[in-house]
Amino acid sequence: MKPSNNQADTQLSKQLSNQLSTQFGTKLSDSLLLPQVATATLELIINKALSLNNKSLSFATVAQKTLMLELAELSFPLCFTVDNTSSPVVIIVRSTIECSDCSIKTSVSTLKKLKANQSLTQLIKQDELDVSGDIKIAQQFANIAQSLEIDWQTELAKHLGDVPTHKLLQFGNKITKSLLATGKQLEADISEYLVHEKRLVVTSSQINAFNQQTKDAASKVDSLSARIDKLVANIAGKQ
Amino acid sequence: MSPTDQNSQASDLSTTPHTSVDADNESTTHFGYKTIEKDDKISMVAGVFHSVAKQYDVMNDLMSFGIHRLWKRFTIDASGVRPGNKVLDLAGGTGDLTAKFSKLVGREGKVILADINSSMLNVGRDKLRDKGLVQNIEYVQANAEYLPFEENTFDIVTIAFGLRNVTDKDKALRSIYSVLKPGGRLLVLEFSKPEHELLNKAYDFYSFNILPKMGELVAKDGESYQYLAESIRMHPDQETLKDMMEKAGFEQTSFKNLTGGVVALHKGYKF
Repeated sequence: MKPSNNQADTQLSKQLSNQLSTQFGTKLSDSLLLPQVATATLELIINKALSLNNKSLSFATVAQKTLMLELAELSFPLCFTVDNTSSPVVIIVRSTIECSDCSIKTSVSTLKKLKANQSLTQLIKQDELDVSGDIKIAQQFANIAQSLEIDWQTELAKHLGDVPTHKLLQFGNKITKSLLATGKQLEADISEYLVHEKRLVVTSSQINAFNQQTKDAASKVDSLSARIDKLVANIAGKQ
Repeated sequence: MSPTDQNSQASDLSTTPHTSVDADNESTTHFGYKTIEKDDKISMVAGVFHSVAKQYDVMNDLMSFGIHRLWKRFTIDASGVRPGNKVLDLAGGTGDLTAKFSKLVGREGKVILADINSSMLNVGRDKLRDKGLVQNIEYVQANAEYLPFEENTFDIVTIAFGLRNVTDKDKALRSIYSVLKPGGRLLVLEFSKPEHELLNKAYDFYSFNILPKMGELVAKDGESYQYLAESIRMHPDQETLKDMMEKAGFEQTSFKNLTGGVVALHKGYKF
């Protein structure tokens, strides 16, 4: 006989509560409420960024959906829920294990690779990324993050004034350009070394072989020299 | 009784274990350290909260150095709330938990903010409406001992910093149990007993010497904050409250001490 919906719900709740009993353990980060400090800070930053955004963003497909991110570097998960019950739309950040429509288990370094457009499937195959649930939700969250368009100059000018903001951004642009140029030069030098010069550089096995050959030649010269000395001595004895 | 007398009494009683469930006599109960008639407690507690309602949020931030926000966040995280859930925020006061739950249950869900005190309920309603939270919140003036809801109604019931003010806590827990759906959970966030003796002493000093003065300065009501300190000491400790929840029918009960046990979050399920 199939269990009724109520029985199934009850069983699910029991399983969840068992998981939560573990969560209710005495972890130091829990006692210090570090996950709550982190989620409150993240929530503030994300919603501030959303309020400064100039581009219209569509949240319809992710309304009330939750994305869970488990980073190897963090001892607690991060859950992002889109709330569209009030205007403007806000994103709520929590640290809980029983909330997600899509969950991603990964590390910060893998997220950087994802940003650098490394193939998603390749990272999953390499076990660097574990996705469960509706992957479209993760993609839509990523799209929203990439679509954010914030006019930092206008926002900064509201606090600092027009002239200091202009000077600050000019200085910032100069530094950025110089850093980018240095980076590009470094990248070019390294790639030139790898493509051209690395081929010409003698390897350690080649050096070892050369040393061995030199030793062999020296011992041959020594034995030849000894033979010549012996012959010279024989000739001198006969005379 | 002069403030000095009250303080000396407080110091004597502050070492009393937090195990008192209710006063020994069935017709009496505690109001802070005072033993009073049960029938009088509701009006006396009401007097306290009518008096502090308008300054409640400011005082919470001041007294806890803002940490109450993190305790409430922890409660939300532990609740496992999902879109479509029906949540009862009992003794919800100025609606901090309701505001968050309202965003998480979405348009399909519902949050009931219930409080016995009309002043607190009014402050909470005004605050949430000012935040634009109107779609899925209802306001009910209710006594936790006699909840005016059908059996098996809610997925989650929370009571944050409210249970210690309830006259008959066992009755309230039974009433909460009955309105929870099977599989539903109760979360009780309440002041409790600090785990370390040193912290306990520092906490006592803060509660009985600084807190009432802060209340006098900001809310112009030192007595209410004296009551707050006393009611915390008279509230059952972690293990006693867990036992009370089990007696009321809750299963898989557990608690988590926060900030060294100054506050504890108790959790129990109805199966």
